[in-house]
Amino acid sequence: MNSKPAVQFHDVSFGYDHLFTLEKINFTIQPGDFVGVIGPNGSGKTTILKLILGMLQPREGKVQVLGKLGYVPQRLHLDPKFPISVRELVLSGRLSQLPWYGRYSQADKDIAERAMETVKIADLKDQRFGTLSTGQAQRALLARALAGEPKLLILDEPTANIDPESSAEIHQILKGLAKHMTVIMVTHDLTTVIHDTKKVLCVQEGVTEFSPDEVCEHFAIGLYHAPLIQKEDS
Amino acid sequence: MEFLQALYANPLLFYAVLAGLLASVCSGVIGSYVVVKRVVLISGSIAHSILGGIGLCVWLQRAHNISWALPLYGALITGILSALIIGWIHLYYREREDTVIAAVWSLGMASGVIFISQTPGFNVELTSFLIGNILWVSPQDLYLLVLLDAIVLTFVVLLHKRFLAICFDEEQAKLQGISVKFYYLLLLTLIAITIVMLIQVVGIILVMTLLTIPAAIGNMMTSRLSRMMMAAVILCALFTFTGTATSYYLDWPSGATIALLAGAFYLVSLLVINRSRRVSYQ
Repeated sequence: MNSKPAVQFHDVSFGYDHLFTLEKINFTIQPGDFVGVIGPNGSGKTTILKLILGMLQPREGKVQVLGKLGYVPQRLHLDPKFPISVRELVLSGRLSQLPWYGRYSQADKDIAERAMETVKIADLKDQRFGTLSTGQAQRALLARALAGEPKLLILDEPTANIDPESSAEIHQILKGLAKHMTVIMVTHDLTTVIHDTKKVLCVQEGVTEFSPDEVCEHFAIGLYHAPLIQKEDS
Repeated sequence: MEFLQALYANPLLFYAVLAGLLASVCSGVIGSYVVVKRVVLISGSIAHSILGGIGLCVWLQRAHNISWALPLYGALITGILSALIIGWIHLYYREREDTVIAAVWSLGMASGVIFISQTPGFNVELTSFLIGNILWVSPQDLYLLVLLDAIVLTFVVLLHKRFLAICFDEEQAKLQGISVKFYYLLLLTLIAITIVMLIQVVGIILVMTLLTIPAAIGNMMTSRLSRMMMAAVILCALFTFTGTATSYYLDWPSGATIALLAGAFYLVSLLVINRSRRVSYQ
């Protein structure tokens, strides 16, 4: 394959004050990959996402990212009482295209409409974001990211605290999206990682790459047992 | 009816009502940002620090005969300066934010009191700035209110979508290339200008009532920020008009009457809305 990688980490180190949380990290994600990022709490999964998004800068090394980014955060940090409709939320994904006079074009509105249809929330567009169920809210945030027409979609635990039915629906949508764009998803849901993704990055004292089959083999009898996640040199 | 006749007959009363309505426009719009962005405390600090600028100008006018140093100019300059200082601390030294808010609050008040204590003569103006005296509004003040309304509304019309984004989700706005720091400081500056306008109507101590209560009631009623702003403008205008009328009949201070009405309406709305929610859950 001659295409440039969608994401490349070259010897990336990151830390706060004198403490390094990530040291000499190297990995590559190719365009079209559907990547699951797993690991114990506090291992640095979200830090890796933020380094890709440019919200954090590495202390050493280089992060290269190709193409436009879309980010779906966890819903938790957003104010449920904020007066914003689903339509306004999704349109805010076109903010980078907003002209100086502050009015979205018809093309922007059409793109936002299509994004809502893709994640099946078009019928909720006039509802207040805070009144949506957790699953619907997550799909609205996904629609906002899609409205930006990203090449690389990054999701931080998109199915955390969501009922199994809504969770399955979101995974189905993500599988469809992964046919057209690169998707990187932090998750604790190993079943999804095994069945849906093409590649797995396990973050624990470094980053180890696995194929979904290896995850099945390594994690079937317990989560993140240190000896189990060390990939053998073979 | 008697009040309407008095409005027609007495230009001072007419100016007072007009000033209240003009200030309501900005108050409803900018107050909505204050409520949803949760910068009520920051706004309180800006409002109280303004006394420093007012005191300085009153002192310059009376003790040094510098006639152009109008208290309103002092209020505007101190308000904007305080907004920028607090905003800068919020952006770069967040861990000390509450301390800085308190410091700006008390420094402004203290310097204002000291300047006024050094000013010769009886300072009726201090009371007027502290608790408001809408009946002191002059035609020049009205022109200034119109100008400030026009400035604030122009910024809001052009930048509302960007303000909405930084109020709801700063992280996402930043990812989309929006300069969150610039728009945050600009928003605080507009808040400072609005506070200066409202001080004409209700005074420093009561300004937060008009800035936050109509917006907070509006937030309970609507699902969109733009509609919340419209509701807040209407409510604010209603409070200032009925408050001025009530104060006229009862011979109460106008600022305090307006604030009392707004506060009472807010408490009733809270009770009614909570009750209706409880009923709908059952």
